[in-house]
Amino acid sequence: MKEVVCKKEELSPGNIMSANVGPIPIVLCRTPDGEFYAFTNKCVHQGAAMSEGVLCGAPAPTDTPGEYNYEKEGEILRCPWHGIEYDIKNEGRMLVDPNRKLGNFNVSFEADNVIVSTKQ
Amino acid sequence: MAEKKQQKRAIIDMDIHERVTYDELLPYLDNPWQRYIKDTNWVQEKHLPYPILGAAGLDRADAQVPDGRPAGNDLSFMQQQLLDDVGHEAGILTGAGDPSPSSMNGWYEMAVALATAYNDWQIENWLEKDDRLYGSVHIAAQDPASAVREIERVGSHPKMVQVLLPIDDRPWGDPYYHPIFEAAERHNLVIGMHHQEPPNYYGKFPRYFVEWHSVMPNTHMIQVSSMIFNGVFEKYPNLKLAMIEAGFTYIPAFMKKMDQQYKVLRHEVPWVKRMPSSIVKDHVRVTTQPVDELTRDEFLKFIDLMDSDEIVCFSTDYPHWDYDSPFRALPPLGEELEQKIFAENARKLYPKLPARERKVTQ
Repeated sequence: MKEVVCKKEELSPGNIMSANVGPIPIVLCRTPDGEFYAFTNKCVHQGAAMSEGVLCGAPAPTDTPGEYNYEKEGEILRCPWHGIEYDIKNEGRMLVDPNRKLGNFNVSFEADNVIVSTKQ
Repeated sequence: MAEKKQQKRAIIDMDIHERVTYDELLPYLDNPWQRYIKDTNWVQEKHLPYPILGAAGLDRADAQVPDGRPAGNDLSFMQQQLLDDVGHEAGILTGAGDPSPSSMNGWYEMAVALATAYNDWQIENWLEKDDRLYGSVHIAAQDPASAVREIERVGSHPKMVQVLLPIDDRPWGDPYYHPIFEAAERHNLVIGMHHQEPPNYYGKFPRYFVEWHSVMPNTHMIQVSSMIFNGVFEKYPNLKLAMIEAGFTYIPAFMKKMDQQYKVLRHEVPWVKRMPSSIVKDHVRVTTQPVDELTRDEFLKFIDLMDSDEIVCFSTDYPHWDYDSPFRALPPLGEELEQKIFAENARKLYPKLPARERKVTQ
């Protein structure tokens, strides 16, 4: 299943939007480097629409209490409800539990069209 | 979009936060209170040293009113996003903690005025505009005589179902506050307790929000033990207590702990006539939210340890960041237990709720 979900310029870097691939609601994310990523638009915790969340960064794990190294700006998708963090450049895996992740979609392009398709 | 599951069962939601703005309260205040707020831009003191760290702070990021007003401020948006979409049979309003008259550390006269104004605002703009919504009587508990007057004034409103006491640093079981319980019992009102900004680390605040939020059940335990060991339920045998927003997994261990202490220290509180766990089963109810992720087996073990399936009642905490979805927060528990948790336990708790299921009206 595949769908043209938008033109490239309709989603500027650092932003997210909701779309559909067939009947499946997805969240399309564009990282600050201009790359596109697409996931199921549903938090694996309680099902909130991820497109209502925020694209942000996150403090890196550290061995030093009190140390904040904010990284991955624009690459972390936080749930609009409980704020669970997903790393969109790491297959949408939950930062706190990488065994849980958002459903992944393929993103491709034809001219300016952004095409999202289900993984085979 | 509503999920199909919504029509499956009745839902009584024990924790919905409607939000007032100070501007909206002004018409309900007399002077000098109105002038004090207008002239000095007064707002109630806050204590937390950190922001609430959800994706959008205190509220769900998708719950802000589309015109920019804060979450919980608009009835029609709440109807659309919560009551209609989920299919609530009933929901109980618990305020948004600002103002929280009983939390004020001074100027109790202002607290009294705010409680009165809040109740009038709540009745006019929420309780009388949606059949599904029921209310909490806000009081200034620091001044029990005024609190009783306020309960007398609005407590018989058909849609007021409880008296709200915030959890800060006052243990409410102290006999000083007993006139409030006498008035609540007389008006068929439950006592609902919901934490405000309790300094829950040795009377201060922990370094991190995650600590403060993790140990919140401690503050609820303090209140439950205060009510039990000060003999509130012996004195007011029809009074019920709803502990809102600390989940339920702490309850089984606390029942065992109180029973053990009572066995050896009963002589200190001879006015308490039975096991604390028995008092909990008869008088105390707790909400599911914020729920811990549990498997069905884990969930049922907690229920089993409580020796009662009538203590736990569902709540969403809408529109706050740690909202629990009625469709996703709990594991499948079987029809009988789900009916109790989602509606019937609350219906039994609040004598002023409709006695039987109604068709949802919109």
